[in-house]
Amino acid sequence: MWNLIKYSFLTKIRNRSIVFWPLIFPFILTTVMYFSIGQMEESDFETVNVAVVAENAGGSEAEEAFLTWLEMMEESSDMIHIEQMEEDEALDRLEKGQIDGIFYNGETPALTVGRNGLPESILQIVLENYIEGRKTLEDVAAVSPEKLKDAVFAMEDYTDSVEQVTLGGKTTNGNVQFFYALLGMACLYGCFIGYGSAMELQAYLTPLAARRCAGPSNRLHVILSETLVSFVLHFVNMMILLAYMKYVLRLEFSGSYAEMLPALFLGSMIGVTMGMFITSIGKMGEGMKVGVMVGVSMAMSFCAGLMNADIKNIIDRSAPLLNRINPAALISDALYCINVYDAPARYAQDILILGVMCVLLTGGTYLIIRRERYGSI
Amino acid sequence: MVKIENLVKRYGGVVALDHFNLDVKEGEIFGLLGPNGSGKTTAINCMLALLKYDRGSIRIMGQEMTPDNYDVKRQIGIVMQDVAVFEELNVYENIDYFCSLYIKDKSRRKELVEEAIRFVGLEDYRKTYPQKLSGGLLRRLNIACGIAHKPRLIILDEPTVAVDPQSRNKILEGICELNRQGSTIIYTSHYMEEVEQICTRIAIMDHGRSIAVGTKEELKSMIKTGETVTIEAVILGADDLADIRSLPHAFDVKYEDQRLVVRCTGAKHNLIHILSCLQEKDIPFGRVFSELPTLNDVFLEITGKQLRD
Repeated sequence: MWNLIKYSFLTKIRNRSIVFWPLIFPFILTTVMYFSIGQMEESDFETVNVAVVAENAGGSEAEEAFLTWLEMMEESSDMIHIEQMEEDEALDRLEKGQIDGIFYNGETPALTVGRNGLPESILQIVLENYIEGRKTLEDVAAVSPEKLKDAVFAMEDYTDSVEQVTLGGKTTNGNVQFFYALLGMACLYGCFIGYGSAMELQAYLTPLAARRCAGPSNRLHVILSETLVSFVLHFVNMMILLAYMKYVLRLEFSGSYAEMLPALFLGSMIGVTMGMFITSIGKMGEGMKVGVMVGVSMAMSFCAGLMNADIKNIIDRSAPLLNRINPAALISDALYCINVYDAPARYAQDILILGVMCVLLTGGTYLIIRRERYGSI
Repeated sequence: MVKIENLVKRYGGVVALDHFNLDVKEGEIFGLLGPNGSGKTTAINCMLALLKYDRGSIRIMGQEMTPDNYDVKRQIGIVMQDVAVFEELNVYENIDYFCSLYIKDKSRRKELVEEAIRFVGLEDYRKTYPQKLSGGLLRRLNIACGIAHKPRLIILDEPTVAVDPQSRNKILEGICELNRQGSTIIYTSHYMEEVEQICTRIAIMDHGRSIAVGTKEELKSMIKTGETVTIEAVILGADDLADIRSLPHAFDVKYEDQRLVVRCTGAKHNLIHILSCLQEKDIPFGRVFSELPTLNDVFLEITGKQLRD
């Protein structure tokens, strides 16, 4: 048995596709996404240059209010930089790309942009926020004109005075949700290790497996050693990946490291046995089996919010059962419960469903691969 | 050593083994000879308890062969038709892995692995990974993995396919040596020369049946052909062919592509009779060949087709 384990371990860690997809690829994806998201956040703070063109020479109270509001925004953050100028000059500079947009300051402020992009979107949001808050400002102007500046200041400073927290008091950084889904995907990528194991266990799949089956090793010992090595290898890798996210990249995982392990433990087992199960059923070719594995794991990861965090929320609202039977979504949800919600009941439910899935998949896989004689080889 | 009775194996509507019988005695090198698709590998897979079969019985070393008959399995060595080794393990590790399935004692295993490496001539490749080995060396590794534990029965399923002549000779010599050391060998091939060279008894298979069994001499004595004479002759008419057919012992005369092929019973004076006939008729001829019957002739006479068809 020891030799079976030793050589099973050696064959796996020396197999490039087994090492790359489930073990290395999640690290690469994590690192790439970490820096991409970091850059995206930095780019949010790049100053957007905008011209303000007065439509009327005198300037009404409303125009004054808008200008004041913009000036306050400019002073309090680096988000926008405003310059007042004539329309001709503004259009000329917009055409040359020296500014990102023009606010026409009239009774109803308007925006002109030269193209579509992040700076233009920011200007659009700024304008929309102002128009939404304008009613409030108008009321203030009517009742206490001397307090208009204070009201504008208060409105501009709204985002600084409010911190988004959960009911449990934990922060909700939306970007971190992507990494929960990524951990779910990485767990399911254990299917590649399971695939390698099944290919060496089922006599009808490869000559090597046939030779092993013809040998005198107890079938149960061979299956156990393969499953054990595959699972331990994958779980250890998941532990390292989690440690990398939490301690090296310092992602906002407010839950403890140990609390997150049960979800990854069960997820790793599901990933490995899913690979063994898919590989062992049917008479599909190797390419088809790999395709099915990739398709299933990517579809599950997509539903768990890997490509877009909103997808998970949409599915949770419109077809909640779908994500209750999706291991990637359950892993992501369990991690969310630990790090964002204070929802031990929901966490326990996630873990329970994952556990049941794990038992069913392991049992089903064992029933298939325990076969000792085949109809054809 | 191995007794198979009335084995029937069907793949859907195709009968792969049709009441196949086999009786291999201890100490033999037993050849299973047949064209591709004749059922050799299916028979081997049934013997190894890998394949389900529809009817019949398989007994090895006096015991019924089942997937969990580990006592019997422990005494069998297998060399598969396709190379079956781990790409991720080097030569030494591969042999050690397969040997470890049979031999638990580590020091004993080490000796056996070294012996197997020497036996197949892979001393210089201990640390080499399979993808770096040539086809011939890979086949040798495949054999070493099957024989390192010194089994009583070794089953080799076409071990020389796609092997260079040097490696082939080395493999065939090795098989004879294993037999001298006490192993019973079952050797399947569609190369009749190999089977003739090393096997003490041979079963010829076709369409899942054993159509003839015996030593090579016994098999050849089963057929009418004693000698096949081939003569290159430019022009032969129908009358000439009729005269040749009337010669004593000539029973099958063919003339194709300016080659006259005469199959004769017995093997005495046939050539002289045929050449005299041609001289008398003043027919010019070129090169002349005379061949004793081969296993292919046996197969041809029994089935009406060539072994390699």
